[in-house]
Amino acid sequence: MNLKDSINSKVSLILGITFAVFIDLILSKLMANWSYSWLPVQASKAAPYVDNLFAFETGIGTFIFLGCSGVIGWVLLFNRAPKYDESFGEPIEGNIKLEIVWTLVPLFLVIAIAIYSTNVNTTLQNLGEKIKYDSQKELPISLEQKQDSTNTIIDVIARQWNWEFKYPEGFSSSELHIPINKKVYFRLISKDVIHGFYIPAFRLKQDIIPGSIISYSLTPTRKGTYRLRDSMFSGAYFSQNQTNVIVESDDSYQAWIKKTVKKVPVNGLNRAGLLYEKRLEKGDKGWATIPPSPPPLVNDPGDPDSSHEG
Amino acid sequence: MTITNYDERIIKSNHPIPGAPNNWRRFFGFNTDAKVIGIQYIVTALVFLLLGGLLGMLIRGELITPPSDLFDPTVYNGLYTMHGTVMLFLFLFPILSGLTNLLVPPMIGAPDMAFPKLNALAFWLVPVFSIVLLTSFFVPGGPASSGWWSYPPVSIQNPLGHFLNGQMLWIVAIGLSGVSSIIGAINFVTTIIQMRAPGMGFFKMPIFIWTVLAAQILQLLGLPALTGGAIMLFFDLNFGTSFFNPETGGDPVLFQHFFWFYSHPAVYVMVLPVFGIFSELFPAYSRKPLFGYKFVAVASFGITILSLVVWVHHMFYTGTPMWMRNLFMFTTMLIAVPTGVKVFAWIATLWGGNLRLNTPMLFCLGGLFNFIFGGITGVMLATVPIDIHVGNTYFVVAHFHYIIFNTIAFGIFAGIYHWFPKFTGRMFYEGLGKVHFALTFIGATLNWLPLHWAGLLGMPRRVASYDPEFAIWNVIASIGAFLLGVASIPFILNMVSSWSRGKKAPPNPWNAIGLEWLLPSPPPHENFEDDIPTVLNEPYNYGLNKPFVLDEEFYISKALNDS
Amino acid sequence: MTTTKSDVLLHTPGHVKHDGHNLTGFIIFLCSESIIFFAFFVGYGVLKLTAPTWYPDGVSGIAVREPLINTIILVSSSFVIYFAERYLHKKNYWGFRIVWLVTMLMGSYFVYGQYIEWSELTFSLSSGVFGSLFYLLTGFHGIHVISGILLMGLMLIRSFIPGNYERGEMGVESVSLFWHFVDVIWIILFVLIYVWQ
Repeated sequence: MNLKDSINSKVSLILGITFAVFIDLILSKLMANWSYSWLPVQASKAAPYVDNLFAFETGIGTFIFLGCSGVIGWVLLFNRAPKYDESFGEPIEGNIKLEIVWTLVPLFLVIAIAIYSTNVNTTLQNLGEKIKYDSQKELPISLEQKQDSTNTIIDVIARQWNWEFKYPEGFSSSELHIPINKKVYFRLISKDVIHGFYIPAFRLKQDIIPGSIISYSLTPTRKGTYRLRDSMFSGAYFSQNQTNVIVESDDSYQAWIKKTVKKVPVNGLNRAGLLYEKRLEKGDKGWATIPPSPPPLVNDPGDPDSSHEG
Repeated sequence: MTITNYDERIIKSNHPIPGAPNNWRRFFGFNTDAKVIGIQYIVTALVFLLLGGLLGMLIRGELITPPSDLFDPTVYNGLYTMHGTVMLFLFLFPILSGLTNLLVPPMIGAPDMAFPKLNALAFWLVPVFSIVLLTSFFVPGGPASSGWWSYPPVSIQNPLGHFLNGQMLWIVAIGLSGVSSIIGAINFVTTIIQMRAPGMGFFKMPIFIWTVLAAQILQLLGLPALTGGAIMLFFDLNFGTSFFNPETGGDPVLFQHFFWFYSHPAVYVMVLPVFGIFSELFPAYSRKPLFGYKFVAVASFGITILSLVVWVHHMFYTGTPMWMRNLFMFTTMLIAVPTGVKVFAWIATLWGGNLRLNTPMLFCLGGLFNFIFGGITGVMLATVPIDIHVGNTYFVVAHFHYIIFNTIAFGIFAGIYHWFPKFTGRMFYEGLGKVHFALTFIGATLNWLPLHWAGLLGMPRRVASYDPEFAIWNVIASIGAFLLGVASIPFILNMVSSWSRGKKAPPNPWNAIGLEWLLPSPPPHENFEDDIPTVLNEPYNYGLNKPFVLDEEFYISKALNDS
Repeated sequence: MTTTKSDVLLHTPGHVKHDGHNLTGFIIFLCSESIIFFAFFVGYGVLKLTAPTWYPDGVSGIAVREPLINTIILVSSSFVIYFAERYLHKKNYWGFRIVWLVTMLMGSYFVYGQYIEWSELTFSLSSGVFGSLFYLLTGFHGIHVISGILLMGLMLIRSFIPGNYERGEMGVESVSLFWHFVDVIWIILFVLIYVWQ
């Protein structure tokens, strides 16, 4: 090839790569924007931070994925050997400069992502202390005594397989009601095995460890009904261990408290118990399980058939 | 085929005798030949792949509709627990041991493994612990049903209170599997360190050998931690001790540390040999040298060292302190670097090549494509705030199946097809192979790609029933799973009919470079026997003027003559 | 590219002496074993530091005196076994056998001492966190001591077979290494359980 041709082919290679990178960038940005719709509605202060980080990583991931797949696709289209052709490809053993670049660039990228994520972690600081207590003895009283009394501290009690929420005003409920835009504190308590306190709409999850009390906090930012699901496998009726979280205005919340304190305690939401009874009626067929805990006595058993978003 | 007119000694021989028909009986006894042991491992493992796959289809059958209407939830829990356990311990680890047994001695020019009797013992433990595990389906109370993790306290609840219970059998089986793996690891590491051909320094070894060495060192360092944790779990379950039981003062999260200290490196034990397979096949089928051999080799050990310090990323939401989460997020993200080095090296190997798209290459390409996707979701999972949202959801299930099946199993299929002619002496049917690939790729993608979105929307994993908003993803996934079941048919047909009546294979059907290709197909009992070649360069010099071994012509003609 | 050098130089004989590998394999095995103990040590440390209740009711510690004597005997036996190896190396077979037997006796005394200690304790395997850890660690170690003594017995028997050491003394070296390993593990155990109270 003469000089003019080799310069031409180098120029077209550079133009081609630049064009491909440009298209890749646009598609990655579009994918990043689209990724917000893959997640549930944003209902807590934490949610936008998590979603932005996710969109950022989706964008970078798309860029890398399309870039690599593009090269692979190109090679599949234009570098296929004819049927009985076993001739060699270009005998390139390596390129130290390129190898160093593709070691260092990902290294810096990964460090940048780690720093961004650490910042988000710090912003989301919602895990308090984890105090271990002797389960043979009484539950130690409030972890957060250093908090002032204007803060709501709700005891979240997880059992195999129901939830109970004990409010500081002295009543309990099967559904979690919390006021909007106020930071609420929890003591996460399990009476038997590890459960998971997971509210997808809030982007928050914390395992509940028996033998420890974990203090936790969050701030809801959107009114509505959301799902609380047990996320750590906890036995036979684990999938049934779900309930609703209702975020409402402070007035509505206070009204609910006033109303519920007066109600007579009844059996709380306990789908697992009903299913187990059905199983026993049919002759206890199936593999071994411990019987479900009896339903907690609550003042507000909730409305399990109400619809939820996220 | 009548063999009645052959000498008893041939019929009973432990290894093939040149000129005589192969004695198929030798695959069913205690045989110390690594090539026989390798086949024993692989066939056993493939049977369990079918069992694990069947369990998987039962799971997807339940999950195609939101309510728990196919099985009692306790049965579902046992099924998914056994699906994971069978797939990991009865399929994946044995099949990788099998491929390693077949490939390591010929690739390094050794006659056999360093400890042949121990090698056979390691294999025969597999049927033993498999039986132990599978009998747990039939004990009162059913099999272990707390996931393949067996987290306490749920795993030590033992509802019926019997000493002989499914969970206890599970622990015994896993313990025996650990013994088998450690024996294997001692064997592989000693063989690779001490029995290489003259001239084969570390930087002239095939990358597959590098990755096997890296993986087996991880087994040696990590498995004992799991064994220790399993012993303590066993005692908690059956003897009332208090290691992990919070009711008597134990710490359930401590088990998680023991478990994951091994089980994270375990996934690298599984994926590293597959990285090795990719590194062998891409150069051969692109007719180009492996790009950046030294970087790729060293990256294997980068991955090994880093994989020992990332385990807490499985515990980001279990109550670990913030400094620990940040530290392990950082180390986990760092693993992307040596892994990326390998991925880019493979892509660069393809670039400018002269590609041959036969079945092994298709599986490698599919595996690489899927791995890039799976690796990206892996970095997302390493990110603590994202993991807090998607941890323990179907996003994780989708990610790890993308790695375990869509990458690792693809790589294993690629390896099986690529080396099938070498070790069986027969060519496989290429058309059936392509059908297997197409069905597997489509089925695997349909099965696990949609589940990422189910997870992002908040569907937890391990559930027998779910809220109706997740239905669409699950329907697509179940269709994919059933398609995967169908995909096993062309594979089994191909393996069986090719081995019994496929065309006789030449020593080097792919025109590849490597010591194993300088042997007849199948290789004789002690591979190169008394005549081991002296290695001059690493086996990737396609198109380069760098000879592979001294006097290569001699070995090529010897292999053709002895065939 | 064929060279014209003689075939003897180009092609290497294949049969490798397998004996050369046994020691390497055994050392690798020991590295793995030490990690199980390491896992137990970590468990001990973590639970001691974080468990809400450590000792079972009625227990406030354990006696150190007898275990200390046992420890001295076990540690000394490591020196004794070293001398046995030296005798073997100098081909003084009866010297080797006698000193080797002394090592076995010292190991047996250790096991006996452990048995006595166990029978006098007031807590059991299921007595909470400390009970579980104590019996697990000392029991697991004890199994290794007993295995070491049995292996030593095997080596002792083999020493009577004529021509046993023609291809090296790898068996004795490996068992000796195992014995040192068992010793080091005990020293760590002793510090963890008896000293750190």
